[in-house]
Amino acid sequence: MKHAASKIIQCVCFIIFLGTSGAQATTIQEVTSPKGVRAWLVEDDKLPILSMSFAFRGGVEQDPASKQGLADLTMALMTEGAGPYDAAAFQQQLANHSIEMRFAASRDVLTGQIKMLRAESDPGFDLLREVLIQPRFDAKAFDDKKDQQLTELKMQFANPGWQARYGLFRFIFRDHPYGQRHLGSIKSLASLTREDVRKFAADHLAQDNLVIVIAGNISAQELRGKLDHVFGGLPQHNKNTPVAEVHWPVQGAKILIPRDGTQTQFLFSMPGPKRNDHDWYAAEIANYILGGGGFSSRLMQDVRDKKGLTYGIDLSLNPMQHAGLIVGEASVDNPKALQAWDTIEETMRHFYNDGASAKEITAAKDFLTGALPLSMTSTDRIASVLLSIQLEDLGVDYLEHRNQLIRDVTEEDVDRVIHRWFDPDYMTLVMVGQPESLMSNQTQALVRD
Amino acid sequence: MLKKISLSFFLALAWATTCDAAVFYPTSFTLGNGLQVVVVPNHLAPAVNQMVWYKVGSVDEEPGKTGLAHYLEHLMFRGTSNIGPGDFSKIIAAQGGRDNAFTSYNYTAFFETVAADRLPMIMHMEADRMRNLQIKPETATPELSVVLDERQERTGNNPEGRFQEKVQRALWPHNAFGRPVIGWKSEIENLSANDAIRFYQKHYAPNNAIVVISGDVDPDQVMRLAASIYGSVPRRDVSPRHVLSATPEPSTHRVTIVDAGVEQPQIEMHVIVPSYRTQKKNEAYALEVLSEVLDGGEVGLLYRRLVSEQGIASGVGTSYDPDDRGDADFTIAITPHSKKDHQKVAEALQDVLQNLATQGVTEELVAEAKQRLQRQAIFARDSLMMPGYAFGMALTTEHTVADVEAWPDRIKEVEVGDVNAALKNLVSDPHNLVGFLLPDLHASAAAREAAQPVMHHDMGIR
Repeated sequence: MKHAASKIIQCVCFIIFLGTSGAQATTIQEVTSPKGVRAWLVEDDKLPILSMSFAFRGGVEQDPASKQGLADLTMALMTEGAGPYDAAAFQQQLANHSIEMRFAASRDVLTGQIKMLRAESDPGFDLLREVLIQPRFDAKAFDDKKDQQLTELKMQFANPGWQARYGLFRFIFRDHPYGQRHLGSIKSLASLTREDVRKFAADHLAQDNLVIVIAGNISAQELRGKLDHVFGGLPQHNKNTPVAEVHWPVQGAKILIPRDGTQTQFLFSMPGPKRNDHDWYAAEIANYILGGGGFSSRLMQDVRDKKGLTYGIDLSLNPMQHAGLIVGEASVDNPKALQAWDTIEETMRHFYNDGASAKEITAAKDFLTGALPLSMTSTDRIASVLLSIQLEDLGVDYLEHRNQLIRDVTEEDVDRVIHRWFDPDYMTLVMVGQPESLMSNQTQALVRD
Repeated sequence: MLKKISLSFFLALAWATTCDAAVFYPTSFTLGNGLQVVVVPNHLAPAVNQMVWYKVGSVDEEPGKTGLAHYLEHLMFRGTSNIGPGDFSKIIAAQGGRDNAFTSYNYTAFFETVAADRLPMIMHMEADRMRNLQIKPETATPELSVVLDERQERTGNNPEGRFQEKVQRALWPHNAFGRPVIGWKSEIENLSANDAIRFYQKHYAPNNAIVVISGDVDPDQVMRLAASIYGSVPRRDVSPRHVLSATPEPSTHRVTIVDAGVEQPQIEMHVIVPSYRTQKKNEAYALEVLSEVLDGGEVGLLYRRLVSEQGIASGVGTSYDPDDRGDADFTIAITPHSKKDHQKVAEALQDVLQNLATQGVTEELVAEAKQRLQRQAIFARDSLMMPGYAFGMALTTEHTVADVEAWPDRIKEVEVGDVNAALKNLVSDPHNLVGFLLPDLHASAAAREAAQPVMHHDMGIR
């Protein structure tokens, strides 16, 4: 069967070169405005469209412990009135000019995105300037968005994946800001004021923690002027509170969050590499082989394909500024919970003890080197990929080196990271549901250990 | 390597046109075996996406066999006479690509994204499983468990999934749309490898499929490749599609689910309306404009009235998908404000709609909505997969390439009178259905939030 499969692959040898524009590397220009605002630009005039992504370092981690949910609420209010426009008028402006503008808060950064037609880019940049320089945070908009966040929070109470995530974070991160919930709590939301929002924006949106990427139909010359116009009025310096490194709990744990339903949500996690770790690429390869490789991964094959115990299982690296996590996820029928967990543990232990094969490493490298260009297929995706590269300080020439860095990873490197990061004994498991079979057995397992 | 002779042979019955209209500027042609191919060049990145759509979905299942179309979709990854079980995705992944598939009421689709110069490979692979699928008990049995797991994940463990299933069943009581695409549990359990083989033979053939290729490609070269690769798959007699029964009245006007897992109430109003296929004049296009007038994010009339002015809702949105072989479903979904009673919110929605229908929406609002929709057609080009979705959904529901390309013009032609007529019909339809997904009042929000992890078992290791 393998032999037959290679017959299909051989077709590749007869390829006519189809790419009419060729596989040229993405050209990134570094643009600096007269006032010193810097941005990366990928200029492309094939479409009359322009996308910009930008980010301010410091995100939900900057929420004071008593004000959880503040970063999310502040970002939701950015497009709810600025300068001369109240919320309704501002939204009308965006709609009239077909401008998509979005702000969001993630753990370590506050992000903004704008996508617009080239012909409407002047009003687009003008409106963005108003948002950044003169946000209003009107009482009416504040009340509306706060209630939306509250209803969103209540909806998440019904979401087992969300419950598992915050159960895990609370255990691992404890009092560290990473243990806090984006959406806050019913109590913390009730305590938030307009003054909190105003101060959050003033403290954390500044020029010295800002990174910007633009992709699409605009020249460097034109962009220089726009950068000053839009971002030049922001304060020079941010007032971010330094955030400590995470200290991992010394022991893994099994945590149960009871919930009605027919399935149990598993979320399992181990310490993992941060993005700047020297073993990053080897860890990406190891993770791909074990559980990140979609339908090709060992976990997917063992738990789904061979035994039909879950619809899907996935493992991913979650690098953050102050901690790294490896996180796995699966949902299983309650009666099959024990069998599923045993299978997952067995697959992980086998990987830890015996490592990856040369063939698997090659397959992982093939995927990882081929995948990145395929993720950059629209102006907004190009901007967002390059924004991450810039946020991680990987350098403007990163795309030229990246595939070589992956190819250079040796079998010894992969072996090393498997022992460094993929030790199932460090694993914490959160279960949301009623995994009865697993619970009763667990007591015995504890005695045995 | 391609020979002129074989080309002219396969293209003998084919025609080719390049559309001159306004969205994707595709090249489309039909091969001698009946396979329809649409090509959309997009040179933003050196990538290509292929989507293969079959004109078969859950509505084409025989009674008692719900879930069969979706089960077969899964089995399409479990091997052919040339590719081993599970190897399809591995071969794609080895190129850095990703692949997947989905099943709906009217169609089943498979897709891959790879570097542009690997297009022949994925065409060979799809052509292979179009004719050479092998379904064996040793792979078909575990896959049935996976499908059952998927059903549990979507409904057993998800109050919203159960709610949607109940709403659909009430809305289309005597119609295939009332059955879940994934199937009823008891019927999925009884599906066999033979059922899947028969279904494959009845529906999977080039003359029942559409291939859409979007990306960094040259249409002429794709045409030659398609002729040589797909052209050799023999035409096969396929079962005629089920005729969808005329839309009956819903069996009930209210569906309420009270669920302990729910904290935030949600309300949906459904009305059965014409699709592109069943419209008499341009009602479907008018409904698309109406949907944009009512929703359209925060500038939509419903957000203005119910959220901004009355403060009774926290969020509101509409959805309407006119790509359908039968009638379609126009939905208005509301999230009540945290302090408002859901009954009052449902009444407020009815009042707002009644008032709007009486007064009519203004020419200005219609013009704004039309402009936003027409511009969406420009943004649609900034996407590798959008052409695949647009042409696939249209061509599997008896619409045409020309219809997709003419969409901005059709929207432009909609007049304020058309929109108000659509609104009147929507509001006065006696068959509308309102669904409530409600929390169990015995469990308060505060109590639920306080529900912390109850068990910490330190593993006692290290």
